[in-house]
Amino acid sequence: MTSPGLVPLPPVPGRILDAQLHLLDRQVLDHDGVPVTTVDDLELSGPDIGAEIPQGTPAPVLDALLTGPVLGTRIFGGRPPQSRLIRIPWKDVADVGVVVRLGVGGEGLDASWVERWVRDRIIARIPGGRHDPR
Amino acid sequence: MKRLLGVALGVLTAIGGFVDIGDLVTNAVVGSRFGLSLVWVVGVGVLGICLFANMSGRVAAASGRATFEVIRERLGPRAGLANLSASFLINLMTVTAEIGGVALALQLASSVHYLLWIPVAAVAVWLVIWRVKFSIMENVTGLLGLTLIVFAVALFLLKPDWGVLAGQALAPAVPAEETAPTYWYFAIALFGAAMTPYEVFFFSSGAVEEGWTVKDLVQSRINVLVGFPLGGLLSVAIAGCAAVVLLPAGISVTSLSQVILPVAEGAGKLGLAFVLVGVVAATFGAALETTLSSGYTLAQFFGWSWGKFRRPAQAARFHLAMIICMLVGIGVLATGVDPVLVTEYSVVFSAIALPLTYLPILIVSNDPQYMGKHVNGRAVNVLAMVYLVIILVASVAAIPLMIVTGAGA
Repeated sequence: MTSPGLVPLPPVPGRILDAQLHLLDRQVLDHDGVPVTTVDDLELSGPDIGAEIPQGTPAPVLDALLTGPVLGTRIFGGRPPQSRLIRIPWKDVADVGVVVRLGVGGEGLDASWVERWVRDRIIARIPGGRHDPR
Repeated sequence: MKRLLGVALGVLTAIGGFVDIGDLVTNAVVGSRFGLSLVWVVGVGVLGICLFANMSGRVAAASGRATFEVIRERLGPRAGLANLSASFLINLMTVTAEIGGVALALQLASSVHYLLWIPVAAVAVWLVIWRVKFSIMENVTGLLGLTLIVFAVALFLLKPDWGVLAGQALAPAVPAEETAPTYWYFAIALFGAAMTPYEVFFFSSGAVEEGWTVKDLVQSRINVLVGFPLGGLLSVAIAGCAAVVLLPAGISVTSLSQVILPVAEGAGKLGLAFVLVGVVAATFGAALETTLSSGYTLAQFFGWSWGKFRRPAQAARFHLAMIICMLVGIGVLATGVDPVLVTEYSVVFSAIALPLTYLPILIVSNDPQYMGKHVNGRAVNVLAMVYLVIILVASVAAIPLMIVTGAGA
């Protein structure tokens, strides 16, 4: 399927991941196996959309998994401003399988602020909110 | 011995948990209008739910993924969201119907108006979800729901003409007073009642809640393959009771009191006591399951932390979502809308939404990346394709039939 003019991919060490198949919309778990979010979108480094790409530009690199309101833009189109993106840096990702596992705890992540807010403001204040059902 | 007990408990819970307000109402309505001439649909529905629950249980055990995580992964955000909206709204309708059903059953037991019971029922449902361990919740409501066997007992005590009943069941025909479109409309309703999608959300999420692995697959298969068909027999008994008592009297069921009337006639006061316990347990159990399912679908779609095995504070959005759903349900019921009517519509809409959940599960249960060597066998896939056709036909035909028949009026 290589079109003329494109250099075929050099052999890459490691696994080849398909962004659409293996990353997008996958569940993200923290290092304790607690769900954090779903991969709502991806952030790539590199040229802006529509910009001229000069010869020899390095290939874009996956910088971060995105979550939050960006999901709405994937469904309805548009793009949220850069400052509104909630990022999980790619360096925090430990493993990609049927789920994406992080190497860090979910507690301190930007991505879990809504969960923390709901917990601290509402659920933990209802009697029994911290009761262990088991 | 312990293992045997576990299997027995699982099967009994599956029987008692099979019947909900949708099965109670739809089977009684159908029995009172069509006799046993639609009983074959219960068979088709039960085989379908066995197949479907078995597949989604296997997906959950082999991959640890519950239904809606899989749906979003496979369909992407756009189709996934459309699917979520439809499934969630129908599930919310079922939550409303079940809470209303608990209240109606309590009204029959106490003569206190059902609107007064609604907040009580909803708070009780919430307390159980908030505090009680998953397995205890499942087993208690399932076992109490077994008292619905009194429908079968009543059917025997009514001493019906078995030849006539068998004739209706074995040579199905549209009764003279009813039209063919009405017959098929109720066939779809009955199919939707037996195969409600929430049972599948609940079944697969429950597998994750209870931490199933592939080792537990045999147990889950026994629960489904033995428990659901026996639960289906309860459905048939409900229809049979209505066919024996209500059909000759020309009463068509529009309220819960008419559903249990044949039991009072056949099995007397004791039977009535049993059936009231059974109806409360069955609707209460289903109210728990549907409320949890609404939380499961949202949490799994958005990737929130979920599950009753966690402390509520560790699944905060999941618990908040369920509280909001129950408040919406109470709000709808507070308008005075008839819960029986809500039920009748919810089962038909369940049939309409069924392909949305069925197809992604069918696809994933064939995907070795998720399933390893536990992918569907050839026989399962052949049966699953036959059901895909049935489900699609029922889904497409439901709305036109609803319009033509005026919702079965």
